[in-house]
Amino acid sequence: MSRRRQIFLAGAVVLAFILQIAVMPQFKLFGVQPDLILVVAVVVAVQEGPVEGAIVGFCGGMLQDIVGPQVMGVGAFSETVAAFLAGVLKEFFMTYSILLPVLLVFIVTILELSVNQLTLLMLGQENLPPFNVLGVILPAAVYNVLAVLVVYPVMRRFSFTQKGESLILTRPGGR
Amino acid sequence: MPSSRRNRIILIVIIIVCISLVTLYVRESDTGPLHRIQNFFLDLLSPISNFFSKIFRPVKDGIVNLFHLPSLSKDKRELQKEVATLRRQASESRELEAEVEEFKRLLKWSEENAQLDTVGADIVGQSPSNWKRLMIVNKGSSSGIKKYMSVVTEEGLAGRIIAVGSRSSVVQLITDSRSGIGARDLRNRETGVIEGRNENTMRFVPMNDEAVMQVGDIMVTSGLGGTSPPGIVIGRVAQVKKRSAGLARLVEVKPFVRFSRLEKVLIIITPEPESVILKEAQ
Repeated sequence: MSRRRQIFLAGAVVLAFILQIAVMPQFKLFGVQPDLILVVAVVVAVQEGPVEGAIVGFCGGMLQDIVGPQVMGVGAFSETVAAFLAGVLKEFFMTYSILLPVLLVFIVTILELSVNQLTLLMLGQENLPPFNVLGVILPAAVYNVLAVLVVYPVMRRFSFTQKGESLILTRPGGR
Repeated sequence: MPSSRRNRIILIVIIIVCISLVTLYVRESDTGPLHRIQNFFLDLLSPISNFFSKIFRPVKDGIVNLFHLPSLSKDKRELQKEVATLRRQASESRELEAEVEEFKRLLKWSEENAQLDTVGADIVGQSPSNWKRLMIVNKGSSSGIKKYMSVVTEEGLAGRIIAVGSRSSVVQLITDSRSGIGARDLRNRETGVIEGRNENTMRFVPMNDEAVMQVGDIMVTSGLGGTSPPGIVIGRVAQVKKRSAGLARLVEVKPFVRFSRLEKVLIIITPEPESVILKEAQ
C-alpha cells in the first residue's frame, strides 16, 4: 500500500468518525442510523485485504469507544472482527461488481451488531433479550447498504493504484 | 518478515489490546482513567455535535415529517375511533368518576412538580450506536448535574443521566434497553418496572402477576428505584398482550415524550436521587 493510500485511509477513518458522531444521528430513521465506520472498514477490506480492513475497523471503533459512554474496546473489537471477516469472505467471490461490497456490508453488519451485543452480554453489561432483529439489526443492515452505495464509488476513485501494486479493484484491461 | 506472519501478529495485537481495554474498563470505577478519558472527549466533542445538530436539524425535521405523513392519516382514523369510544364512555357515570379521579391525581402531581428544582439543558447530540438510545446535553457537573438525575420535559419523563462531564452529560432515554424505571399505574396503584426495549414503546413488568392492566392506563414513576422522584408521568399503556405457555404477558407502554422532536430538557437536581445520596454517604 502506498504512503498516499495510507494517508487517504487515515483521513477516511477520521472523516467517517466525525460524520458518525455529529451528522449520522440526525439521519436516524425508526431509531436506526448507518454505521459509516463499519462501511469504510468493509470497503477497505474489499480493496486492500482482511488485515487492512481490520486495522481500519479497530481505529474507527476505538475512536467511537473513546467518545461514547460504552465499554471501551467492545466497539473496536466488533468492528475489527466484522471487517476482517469481510476481507476473508471477499476472497470467495470473483467479481468486480459493487454488489460484492453491498452483500458483504449486509452480512457483516448483522455480524457486527451481534458480536457487539454478545460481548456486552458476556460482560454483564446488557440484559436479555437484546437482539432486536426486525427493529434494529435488519434496518441497520439495509441502511448500511445504502451508505456503501455512496462510499464505495468514492473510495474506489481514490485507490491510487501504482505499478506493482494489487489491481484487485481495477477492471481487467482498465486504467 | 513474511507478509502473512506480519498480518497475523497485527491481528493478534489488536485483539489483545481490545480485550485488555475491555477488562480494564469493566474493572475500574466511574472515576477511573478510562472513564475520565471518555468524559474529557465527551466535553470536547459536544460543541462539534451541537454545531452539526443545528445545521442538520431542518433536514432532519423534513425527513421526520415526511415519514410521519402516512402515520398522520392513520392517527386521524384512530383518533376518530377513540372519539366514538369516548362518547359512549362519557354516558356512563362510573367511567366519568374514574376520569375525574385520574385528573385529580394528575393535578396533584403537577402541584408536587412545582417544588422540583430543575436545570434546563439543550440536546446537543445523540448516540452514534444503533443499540443505544442516548442523548448528549450541554450541562455537566459545573451546573450541578450528577449521575442518575432524572431528565424530564413538559410531556413527562425522558430519561436519566448516566455519564457526566464538566460541561456535558449523557442521558439514557427511557426507551433504551438498559433502562429500568420504578413505575406505578395511576388507576390501580400497581407498581412494577418499566423497561426500555430499544423501540418506540417500553414494557411494564408489574410486581403483582395478577395485576389487571388496561389499555389507556397512565404510568407514573413510583420513586421506588431511588433515581426518579415519584409521580412523574412516563406514558400510557398501549397494548396488553397475553402470552401462552406460562410466559409473562407483555404490557406495552407508549412514552408521552416524543423523542424525535426533543430539543430542550429539564434535569431534576433537587431532590437528588437517593442512590447518589447513599453513594456520597459511603
